Amino acid sequence: MASESILRVNAVDKAFGGIHAVDRCSLTVLPQSITGLIGPNGAGKSTLFNIIAGLYRPDGGEIWFDGTRIDGLPPYEIVHLGLTKTWQIPHELRNLTVLENLVLAAKGNSGERLLNLFFRPRQVKRDEKQWRARAREVLKLTQLDGLANEHARTLSGGQKKLLELSRALMSDPALVLLDEPVAGVNPALTGSLMDLIEKLRQGGRTFFLIEHDMNVVMNRCDWVIVMHQGRRIAEGRPEMVKTDPVVIESYLGG
Amino acid sequence: MASTSSGGIPNQAAGRKLPWSEVIAFVAIAVIVLAGVLAGVLAGASPQGILTNVGFYASIAIIFAVLALGFNLQWGYTGLFNAGIAGFYLIGAYTMAIAITAPSPPIVIGGIPVYPGHLGGYSLPLAVGAILAMLAAGGAAVIIALPALRLRADYLAIATLAFASILQILANNLQSVTGGAIGITGIPKPITFVSANAPFLNAITIVGIGSAILLLFLLLLQFMAESPWGRVLRAVREDEEATMALGKNTFNYKLQAFALGGALMGLAGALFAVTLGYVSPSSSFAPAVTFSVWVMVIVGGSGNNRGVIVGAFLIYGLEWLSVQLKDYVPIALAAGLPTIRLLLIVVGLIAVIAAGVFVLFSRYMPTRGWGRVLRKIQERGWVRNGTIGAFALYGLGWVFVFLEQYKPGAIGDTIFYTRLMFIGVLLIILIIYRPEGILREHKRVLR
Repeated sequence: MASESILRVNAVDKAFGGIHAVDRCSLTVLPQSITGLIGPNGAGKSTLFNIIAGLYRPDGGEIWFDGTRIDGLPPYEIVHLGLTKTWQIPHELRNLTVLENLVLAAKGNSGERLLNLFFRPRQVKRDEKQWRARAREVLKLTQLDGLANEHARTLSGGQKKLLELSRALMSDPALVLLDEPVAGVNPALTGSLMDLIEKLRQGGRTFFLIEHDMNVVMNRCDWVIVMHQGRRIAEGRPEMVKTDPVVIESYLGG
Repeated sequence: MASTSSGGIPNQAAGRKLPWSEVIAFVAIAVIVLAGVLAGVLAGASPQGILTNVGFYASIAIIFAVLALGFNLQWGYTGLFNAGIAGFYLIGAYTMAIAITAPSPPIVIGGIPVYPGHLGGYSLPLAVGAILAMLAAGGAAVIIALPALRLRADYLAIATLAFASILQILANNLQSVTGGAIGITGIPKPITFVSANAPFLNAITIVGIGSAILLLFLLLLQFMAESPWGRVLRAVREDEEATMALGKNTFNYKLQAFALGGALMGLAGALFAVTLGYVSPSSSFAPAVTFSVWVMVIVGGSGNNRGVIVGAFLIYGLEWLSVQLKDYVPIALAAGLPTIRLLLIVVGLIAVIAAGVFVLFSRYMPTRGWGRVLRKIQERGWVRNGTIGAFALYGLGWVFVFLEQYKPGAIGDTIFYTRLMFIGVLLIILIIYRPEGILREHKRVLR
């Protein structure tokens, strides 16, 4: 099992003062899956995502991504290994344009190193051109191409969610952690967004997402993990989880 | 560029309009310089003396502009709030002074030490001194940044503020290195002139060299900051955590921006040492220098390299003008007081008549042509605010006339001692009506 999983979280622990946000939580995500993470508010889902992405340091436990141990690595190194996360509350770079937000998210743009500006001007130009073209493609995919040169701060809440996803795609990740990707997005757009995610999954990517929209979780995920009070309390195929009495009691409600 | 102000009109609609903010900025600077020149002319100063003064204004403004460019890279682009600009400036000035002066041993007269001497006396070329000054200040920036940049923004400000204060105290007390309270004198000029015109010629060379350096660094910074590298800096300013999660080693970028900004401040210090010909731990490196640079960057437009240069010339211009007025106005006024009183009476009469006509006319204002212009002026509240402002100024004029009559020199002194208050008021007005500065940061439209 361990060798074929793309992400393995092993007994990860995190406390903030007296609050035990993540309590020896263990779980695995299979490659090319869309795995859902559900649970009541305060269950520790977002905290776990932040730990996996390297934004918080775990107090204990191990995290393995694609054969590499990543706990304790800084976030930017984890991104370079191929793991990207989006934020529940959009962290758009407000005074940069949408296109700038995307180009910035590319990996290995040579112009981002100061010395290259002076010593490799041609490569810098070539890279920048290539990444701008790629950014335009991604924006077409997420239907934000009409807003490419608008400041990110002028976007609506739903558009900012799309911007989050677009940015994540720019780094060509193997695994994307999506923190509530469709919260605040209208139903039609939710459908096309999930279609897009499905298409990208078929292209070989893995998605691990937190979501409260049960339609999305039940219809679009192949595997669902349930967290409660910092622990994994259940997992399985969506239809199995739906009928699990423990899950119904703690999360879904009667 | 100026399109977003008028309620989000799309960019292309702006077209090729006259860049009003730039025009206003340059006119304001020109008015300041001309006012200073006019005061000198009215006081009967020699043309060369006036030109030397203008040259002094330009050379100090250039120094502040280099400081502002450095702070803009740190704060305007990267969001790092440096409260110790004066400290990096001091390092640059002292490094330059120690590097390029001739040896100056301690002076003892009758067993009493008059001058403690200072480190160095290496008589190096000016360019070498300037490079050393940049390296020293940049190096100091790295040393302070390594621990301080890991702190949240406000702690960085406290750490740098303390750093600058410590340096000023050190400069004052580390006598064998810095020459103590007397400082380092006899700093050579770029070219040594032996003529009666020496001060004037010195001012000209300094302004020439300074302008060239300023232009060079403006172009260099523009190239660097508007590159993909600069885009990461702006991303760090917007949201460091998100930038990290997008795969950028944000600490490295902060370190680079802070060090390069510090090096620029060191260069400003080197220019200062050469311009004045001496350095001492006096008010030149007081926290007020730091605060002035903040004002220049905020007024000019943070995140816009040309803007912060405009800010430096404008704010230092007000400072310079206040000195010119203090020196020249009392002399110019000595003879002209009755004329001014007459002028005030005439202006007052004209204003009352004009206001009356306007009030009468506004009731029957036509809706077309210039009536519409008047209506627009009225709608925007300019009439009310303008009237209040004009009354205040007019009253102030009379107050000054009486003051000057009973205590000659009062106007000049008042202008000089209230100059910071005026700059403060200007800053408040600007923050309210144009918080992004005169030349705002423009939107980068990528193709």
